[in-house]
Amino acid sequence: MKLRWLGVLAVCGLALALPRYAHAHAMLVQSTPQAHATVQGPEISIELKYNARVDATRSTLVLVAPDGKTAPLAASQSGPGTLAAKAQQLNHGGYVLRWQVLSSDGHVSRGEIPFTVK
Amino acid sequence: MIWLLRDFDFLAVLLRAAALGLEALMVGGIAYLLLVAIPATSDADVLKGCRRGIRRAAAAMVLVQTLYTVVDALVLVGSSGMSAREVMTAAFFYAGATTILVSGIIWLAMHFASRWVAAAMAPLALILVGSAVSMSHSVSRLEHSVFLAAMTALHHLGTAAWIGAMPFLLVSLKRAKFELEQTRLARRFSNMALVSVATLVAGGLGMAWFFVGSWSGLYGTSYGLLLAAKVYLLLVMLALGAGNFLIVRAADRAPEKLLRRLRRFGEAEIGLGFTAILAAASLTSQPPAADMAQDRVTGQEIVARLHPAWPRLKSPPVAALTPPSSIENAVEAHAFGGEGVSDDLDRAWSEFNHHWAGLVVLLAGLLALASRLQVAGWARHWPLVFAGLAFFILLRADPENWPLGPRPFWASFSQPDVLQHRLYALLIAGFAVFEWGVQTGRWKSPRAAMVFPAVCALGGALLLLHAHAQSDVRDEVLTEIAHTPLALLGVTAGWARWLELRLPDRRDRTVASRVWPACLVLVGLILVNYRES
Repeated sequence: MKLRWLGVLAVCGLALALPRYAHAHAMLVQSTPQAHATVQGPEISIELKYNARVDATRSTLVLVAPDGKTAPLAASQSGPGTLAAKAQQLNHGGYVLRWQVLSSDGHVSRGEIPFTVK
Repeated sequence: MIWLLRDFDFLAVLLRAAALGLEALMVGGIAYLLLVAIPATSDADVLKGCRRGIRRAAAAMVLVQTLYTVVDALVLVGSSGMSAREVMTAAFFYAGATTILVSGIIWLAMHFASRWVAAAMAPLALILVGSAVSMSHSVSRLEHSVFLAAMTALHHLGTAAWIGAMPFLLVSLKRAKFELEQTRLARRFSNMALVSVATLVAGGLGMAWFFVGSWSGLYGTSYGLLLAAKVYLLLVMLALGAGNFLIVRAADRAPEKLLRRLRRFGEAEIGLGFTAILAAASLTSQPPAADMAQDRVTGQEIVARLHPAWPRLKSPPVAALTPPSSIENAVEAHAFGGEGVSDDLDRAWSEFNHHWAGLVVLLAGLLALASRLQVAGWARHWPLVFAGLAFFILLRADPENWPLGPRPFWASFSQPDVLQHRLYALLIAGFAVFEWGVQTGRWKSPRAAMVFPAVCALGGALLLLHAHAQSDVRDEVLTEIAHTPLALLGVTAGWARWLELRLPDRRDRTVASRVWPACLVLVGLILVNYRES
């Protein structure tokens, strides 16, 4: 009996040792702006194209400003695998666009796109 | 507890693996009941055993799928600020709810012995497969999604009717009272398995055509490497299955002995099969190789990385490593972009760790082989070598954390890599103690002897999912090129040791007894040659 419980504990231990890194499932294949690009402000159009169908209503876009403040962006679906948004009143400096998408098979993937506004 | 919740993201992968395994068991059990057990036998005990197995799988599926759906929902709510209502109206939630409902109906129905009720399970099994397919890569593809969904369904059905049904064959063989009945069951299952394997392979090839697309996709991406691992497992299972195929055809000559051998090979087939299902769960969380055209590793890069070189026997000092950031920054960076960039000294540290671990495992393998060949009696103490390895991992695997670094011991558990390494250290220590007791005859219990194959096989299976999140995708693939063979050798060693302990024939046991020490030696050689640049 003791061995059985030790076995259960061992399995749980091995299970908890399971690595977390679920890779990006819906992969970003093209973005506007591109990573590390320099763009003209104060208003920019954002378009993110993925390799899979995404659920725009359950996906999020967050813009991180040069001072570290974050602001959510309203994302719309411009195609089965495409998210679109607009960012306004951007000052000069380095920004980071953090995206999180839910693909239609239920997997969540995340990423970030740094860019500069001149 | 909040820091633990951050790791629930990876718990979803484990639950997905459990759900896929239970789906195979339920659908396989129903296929076995309808196509093998009911036509082949009138023994009520056999049919009762099958229905009980399906009920248990169904009950477990209700629990696992509920947990999986809840964990997925919690991750979404926690990380995106979505409301519970928004999450509960998502497609994946409906698919999960369908699986839970259908599993509940199957659980209830399997309380009844009626053959009409059993027949009614067939469409429910297809709904289960459909629900699983709706949460696969196929349906989210922008092109060819219908064809890919069909191929995925075939792959699931083939897996279920072979791997998922096999446990029910073993249960039936144990319960059937007459050898003639056992032979009949084995023959019908063998015929079903032949069709299942063809179906599984056809579905797999169809998916591989679109998801991999080329040889460079197979060897140059994480998806391709996992798929290659599944192919290896399939080939080993087919070798065992071919043995069972011949046994079944010759069973009339010496039924009792041959059927016992069939059961033992069947156990290993089941273990390897569910390992392949675990790899499949990991595949569902990887982007298909066909989408990774920009980030593929080339053949030349692989050759350069694997080129034999003298191991690193001297470590850089801890103080020379990259200064660690705070735990909060490290966890956030890990969530969005993987580990931070390592410099040459960080890589030297990691390589030193792997090379010395390799020397330890190589020594253990050689001693185990010497013990098997009865060259030296003291060689049977080889498991103690692993106790030293466990301490080594605990001390050196994560130098930015306690005891070598400034990050606190308990808080550092929020980093997935740290959690993994410490649990592996604990399990290796436990394994060392157990197996030493068995090898030296201090513990004579047959169950104690099963710890080694169980830890080896399960550890190897879960290592297939191990990923050092790297900021560069190509570096990650190059790391996986070393890890994947280690995982497969671990799985092979575990099941070889299992067969050594379980097979009735001495000649078969001797063959198995040479395989697992050879696997340990190969693991040691791979670790000794491990490089990160």
